[in-house]
Amino acid sequence: MRHEFRMMVGADPGGVEKVNAVFAEFARTYALPEAVRRSLNIALDELLANELSHGMRGGDAGPVTVEVELDQERLTATITDDGPPFDPFRQAAPDTTLSVDERPIGGLGIHLVRELMDDVSYERRDGHNVVVLVKQLVVG
Amino acid sequence: MQISTRTSNDIHIVAIAGNLDSTTSPEAQKALDAVLAGARKVALDFSELDYISSAGLRVLLGAAKQLRASGGTLRMFGLNQSVREVFEISGFSAILAVYPSEAEALGAM
Repeated sequence: MRHEFRMMVGADPGGVEKVNAVFAEFARTYALPEAVRRSLNIALDELLANELSHGMRGGDAGPVTVEVELDQERLTATITDDGPPFDPFRQAAPDTTLSVDERPIGGLGIHLVRELMDDVSYERRDGHNVVVLVKQLVVG
Repeated sequence: MQISTRTSNDIHIVAIAGNLDSTTSPEAQKALDAVLAGARKVALDFSELDYISSAGLRVLLGAAKQLRASGGTLRMFGLNQSVREVFEISGFSAILAVYPSEAEALGAM
């Protein structure tokens, strides 16, 4: 048994919302555990907000393809774009021990993705950035 | 996301329901800014909050910094497992005042 959906979103601020709405429906349909759904919701928000809006891509954001696959063992999300090479995981983890006053605002997103997912990977493939996120459904 | 505000004695309680993420955080920021303009004691009710991403954490950190600078207090309660996990991973559970229940959050505030 295997279920999947695939969608393309443009570089507009509503793109993240569209993906999360489709994923929420997918999660409901296949009775995905709440913890798994929430973790991927957060990971998609972190990665897509980076890609689709501002900042990290130097204003060079093009359309992004999101594919989500579910089988008995795991939930896999693949995010693909054809922008300049960009590995979102190539940044140091933030210092999460700083106090309220010392803490810079931001820098946590990718750290959350790494910690909430079981596996994350980046690959430059045929002129595309391909990010794969995996969340196991069964622990152990 | 839905935001509602109520007051209990001189404590402003802001309930945030749904998702606090890159899409909804600007609106949450605006709502919190409005509350912070006239409040010293603020409690955030997360009992209907589904999940929070780093965009939401930024809003909370901003509010915490602002209240701290003005000598105010910020507390939160009602976190579900996912929100709690994000707080743990980000280190926010060590720097923000998180309480298990509304009664405990508002007590002696």
